[in-house]
Amino acid sequence: MAIGWFDRLRIERLVWMLDQQIYDLPRARRIATRREVRANLLEASADVGTTEALRRIGGSRGLAEQYLVAEFGDRPRPSWIGAIYAAGLTPLLLNYLLSEVTNGFTDGVRAAHGSGTFAFDGVAYLQHALTVTVSGSEVALSGGSWTPWTYAIWLLIVIFAGRLWRLRRRSSQVRAGATDD
Amino acid sequence: MTESHDPQLLKGVLSLLLLHLLAERESYGYEVVQRLQAAGFADVLEGSVYPALNRLLREGRVQTRLVPSPGGPARKYYRLTGDGQRALAESTAAWDRHVAGVRAVLSRPLPSMQGA
Repeated sequence: MAIGWFDRLRIERLVWMLDQQIYDLPRARRIATRREVRANLLEASADVGTTEALRRIGGSRGLAEQYLVAEFGDRPRPSWIGAIYAAGLTPLLLNYLLSEVTNGFTDGVRAAHGSGTFAFDGVAYLQHALTVTVSGSEVALSGGSWTPWTYAIWLLIVIFAGRLWRLRRRSSQVRAGATDD
Repeated sequence: MTESHDPQLLKGVLSLLLLHLLAERESYGYEVVQRLQAAGFADVLEGSVYPALNRLLREGRVQTRLVPSPGGPARKYYRLTGDGQRALAESTAAWDRHVAGVRAVLSRPLPSMQGA
């Protein structure tokens, strides 16, 4: 049975969706999995039709879960991809927030006083005090770095997004298993 | 044999079935599914077979090689390793013990049958 372009698209859609959900697999294994699923689906599609082939392989979410369980076991596991996204996106968001607040302060003092040097306490708990020097159209900032609280929030978000506490539970289960043996 | 099987039971013996099929001869993923279906396991879905093959690969019980396919992408053939042969022997023995135990219980007469 020949496979038309629309059926190939349906297969590619499932492979792509599967790929997005198995990012926690080692890279080589993920790529091999993607290729194998595609090859098997094309073969099954030629054999029994694409609709039946897709039905028999199940949804991408269930399939991804099976692959993750096959790789890491049945226990709750951390999400490295979630941790990486959180680690990358949280500083962007925090810096955007803090810079918007600083810009608001700068615009305010410029409108009220024109030129000069002004002290700003920064966002409470999140930012050290900073000094804004306005001279005509020039604005110079000093200070305003993250406080330890901000780093702690960043770390907490990474831990929650990646469910990293499961690492500790998993390693303690492995130790318990080794003791049982 | 085309009756449906208990998915939980199948899940427990899928690795054993795969090891045995691959011990008979090396096969690629979809071929394994077809062989399972031909053996009567029509309700074994690809979505559980492919990850199970992956697990056997990770555990070192099978190894793979890519073979060009005439009409599509290369096929990944699975075959048993030495570890796989040992696992098959152990699992087969465990299965035999399990079946013998279950059969011994099931063969006991029930009170209602004794009375009949």
